[in-house]
Amino acid sequence: MSFPILTSLVVLPIVGALALFALRDEEENERAIQIFSLVVAIAVFAVTLLLWARFDSASADFQFVEHHAWIPSFGISYNVGIDGISLLLIVLTGFLTPIALLCSWESVHKKTRAFCMAVLLLEAAMIGVFVSLDLFLFYVFWDAMLIPMYFLIGIWGYDRRIYASLKFLLYTMAGSVLMLLAILGLAWLHQTTAGSYSFDLLALYSLPIPEHLQFWFFLAFALAFAIKVPLFPFHTWLPDAHVEAPTAGSVILAGVLLKMGTYGLVRFAFPLFPAAATFFAPYLAFLAVVGIIYGALVAMVQPDMKKLVAYSSVSHLGFVVLGIATLNTQGVQGAVYQMLNHGISTGGLFLIVGMLSDRRHTRLISEYGGLKLVTPHLVAAFLIITLSSIGLPGLNGFVGEFLILLGTFAWNPKFAVCAATGVILSATYMLWMFQRVNYGTVSEKNRALPDLKPREWALLVPVIALAILMGVLPNLFLRPIAPSVERMLEQVRRGAPVEANASGRDVTPRAGN
Amino acid sequence: MACVVAAAIAAIVAEAFRAPGERMPIGPLGAIGLIGAAVASFLLWDHHAVSFGVVSADNYALFVTFILIAVGLLSLALAGPVIERQGLPVGEYYALLLFSLGGMILMAMATDLIVIFLALEVLSIGVYVLTGIRRDSPASVEAAFKYFLLGAFASAFFLYGIAFTYGVTGSTRLDRIGTVIAAQAMSPSPMQLLAMGLLFVGFAFKVAAVPFHMWTPDAYEGAPPSVTGFMSTGVKAAAFAAFARVFLSALAPMHGEWSHVVWVIAAMTMILGTVVGVAQTSVKRMLAYSSIAHSGYLLVALLSANSSGKSAILFYLATYALTNLGAFGVIGLLEQRDAANDQLTDYAGLWYTQPVLAALMTVFLLSLGGFPPFGGFIAKWFIFTSAIEAGQTWLAIIGVLTSVVSVFFYLRVIVQMYMTSSTAPLRLPPVPLVAGVALVASAIGVLYLGVLPAQVIDWAAASIGTIF
Repeated sequence: MSFPILTSLVVLPIVGALALFALRDEEENERAIQIFSLVVAIAVFAVTLLLWARFDSASADFQFVEHHAWIPSFGISYNVGIDGISLLLIVLTGFLTPIALLCSWESVHKKTRAFCMAVLLLEAAMIGVFVSLDLFLFYVFWDAMLIPMYFLIGIWGYDRRIYASLKFLLYTMAGSVLMLLAILGLAWLHQTTAGSYSFDLLALYSLPIPEHLQFWFFLAFALAFAIKVPLFPFHTWLPDAHVEAPTAGSVILAGVLLKMGTYGLVRFAFPLFPAAATFFAPYLAFLAVVGIIYGALVAMVQPDMKKLVAYSSVSHLGFVVLGIATLNTQGVQGAVYQMLNHGISTGGLFLIVGMLSDRRHTRLISEYGGLKLVTPHLVAAFLIITLSSIGLPGLNGFVGEFLILLGTFAWNPKFAVCAATGVILSATYMLWMFQRVNYGTVSEKNRALPDLKPREWALLVPVIALAILMGVLPNLFLRPIAPSVERMLEQVRRGAPVEANASGRDVTPRAGN
Repeated sequence: MACVVAAAIAAIVAEAFRAPGERMPIGPLGAIGLIGAAVASFLLWDHHAVSFGVVSADNYALFVTFILIAVGLLSLALAGPVIERQGLPVGEYYALLLFSLGGMILMAMATDLIVIFLALEVLSIGVYVLTGIRRDSPASVEAAFKYFLLGAFASAFFLYGIAFTYGVTGSTRLDRIGTVIAAQAMSPSPMQLLAMGLLFVGFAFKVAAVPFHMWTPDAYEGAPPSVTGFMSTGVKAAAFAAFARVFLSALAPMHGEWSHVVWVIAAMTMILGTVVGVAQTSVKRMLAYSSIAHSGYLLVALLSANSSGKSAILFYLATYALTNLGAFGVIGLLEQRDAANDQLTDYAGLWYTQPVLAALMTVFLLSLGGFPPFGGFIAKWFIFTSAIEAGQTWLAIIGVLTSVVSVFFYLRVIVQMYMTSSTAPLRLPPVPLVAGVALVASAIGVLYLGVLPAQVIDWAAASIGTIF
């Protein structure tokens, strides 16, 4: 048996978190705690890169699979494995966690050890969600992840943190418990048709599910994921959670947690219930488009930078859902790519906002102005990340949005046209904010702000480098994604009713893709 | 037979230290008795010993006995600081605790309605007195009085139920009742329905199902926390054991009749327990309502009446016992001679002054709320599995939604402990070693049941598979 690399990815942060108990939570240990947890997080990142290096990009199968019985009487197993989609999301998780830890070095001074433990446990649970191939295991990680995030927001957040953390937790949970029932229903269906319980994703993929049940199961799954994404109109927890969370929490929330909703759609909801998925796809797309435009419009009027970025997430994630709903190669590939992009660029934006608010202790746009003269390096980084978020060609955002719009156009041009206005709007609100913060006259309070410190350079350089890399060499990232996306689409097509296939949904890949 | 062994050990040990003075190491004696009972039950596993045809030490009863012994051991360990602080009579406390524990074990093993009634009374009387053991506290006396009055009513109902059942079937033995009822192909007579209803009321009272739950919040609040922990877990486990035995074996042929009633009661219990729980400001009352809600979940499993439902009851009882005892153990440690410290605001900033206690409480609360990776999640999952299997989708939906509501009030305690700073932090004496070990042990147990539940699930399934 080969080395259980995926298990080690889940276990390593947990062991690291437990090892932190060895360091007493005192003032003079603070740096040691921070360094130790950073080392653990970087080690995890290194393992994710190793995973990528050993990943066979040409294959669409699940790789590095480990399978052990867990609760055998109910067919529950510890079953993990990854394909191209989860691979890159795991790498993203590994990439963002050290950044989240490092960005809190100066801003978290209360209970530092518990903070680092929460971040590491959160990382373990997030990786667990992406590697699970057993629905029960997936649900366990999915729910367990809420606890550290709840504490991160609730303990180390800003003023209204208690309200925001509770709202985050209850919203997410309300959605996911219904998914739990749907999972149980699926396993029971497997029991009645195949004679044994199974929560194994691959076994359930091939389970024929009656259409009326697909309908309900899909709704339950989609609700859980839609709340997580968050899809309009389930997004109201997001601005609160983002605004009140500490910078590390926002980075992880935007960077990874939101992706779990879209990941869940790609991995579970669509392939498990193809008939219902094809039926509901236009409705999802409609909500996604509403979310794109609504999020952008609301972002435009926000006086608070963090809230602006939060609403921009609603808009950007709308693109991802739209791409998934197209159910064609470009759309879904673009959606997966956009998941990564959003993690990088929005994570970067939250970092910048965090740096500014560390300096000035305010996030109001109107308090700033003319920073270009005071902190030129910070502003340069700000500009690059802003442009990447808008989707400037040459940076990462462009590739994803372009693919999504291409796919949408082939499917339903109306949606594409409406969604494209979102691109314009995003340029408007982002650039407008950038302009108000960085140009104009320098007020007295801003005159003495320090420029980037070495630690902050270390945070921003990798983010920017990755943004450029993903913009210039998209194929590096699309290569592992492509076979997995094809397999997922194949899965959906096989189960979808024939008339849906005939109506032009099935777009053949075009040249140049 | 095992019952006699177990109950006798408990009783003899209890008797033995009633005589000696105050300064005897009484707690350990009780613990030894319980460990003896555990060994006896272990040896009897799979033997299916039957005494006089009315007491049966089948694996089902033994599984419940194990739960009860764990409850007993933890209660003994956690009672120490409370007794010392409140100046409670040591000998009486332990003796009553062990007597009622003996009653509980007998209840789990009884296969005759009369014996069930006897066991019910043995356990109840012990618990009534324990509830009021703080004689100088009006709240405690009031709680005991309320509990006793309502409990006496419920016992009377139960006894009437037995009488009517005897009138209809000519026996009080569960197996004979079952045969007689099953033999009647037609729909049951009104008399039979009445008998069933009366028995149901008796059980519903003991497990605190709505609308027979009125005594719960007062009794839980008034009793010393160590007693509350004991009665919320022990009484519930014993009562549910007998409840399930009566309704799933003797009255199983009438499932069609009682299932509607249980459906409504289960739904009401879950909803009322959680919704009213939200409004509580006292942590003890909140846990009382949470205990009501948990009875609702157990009723869902009872209603499902399939094999996973039956083992779900056992697994749930085991998890709930560990979790709730742990939670009340923490409450007991926070209580002081002059202050109950059971208001939500008393928990403010606990994490900063008592990080370990706060962390343990968090584990118990999250498990009660049904979060993975704690036992409470697996227990709830098991119950909902049984509900889905039985086609009770709506009940399952009510169940999961109410459990989200319940998360809200469990989190209120966590909010206080972690996210609120206290103006007057609690000054607590150091935690006694035995109580600390007991708390850590239950936390580890809760985690074990959450991460590696397969073994216990299989035991539960095996133990219930042997009887009904």
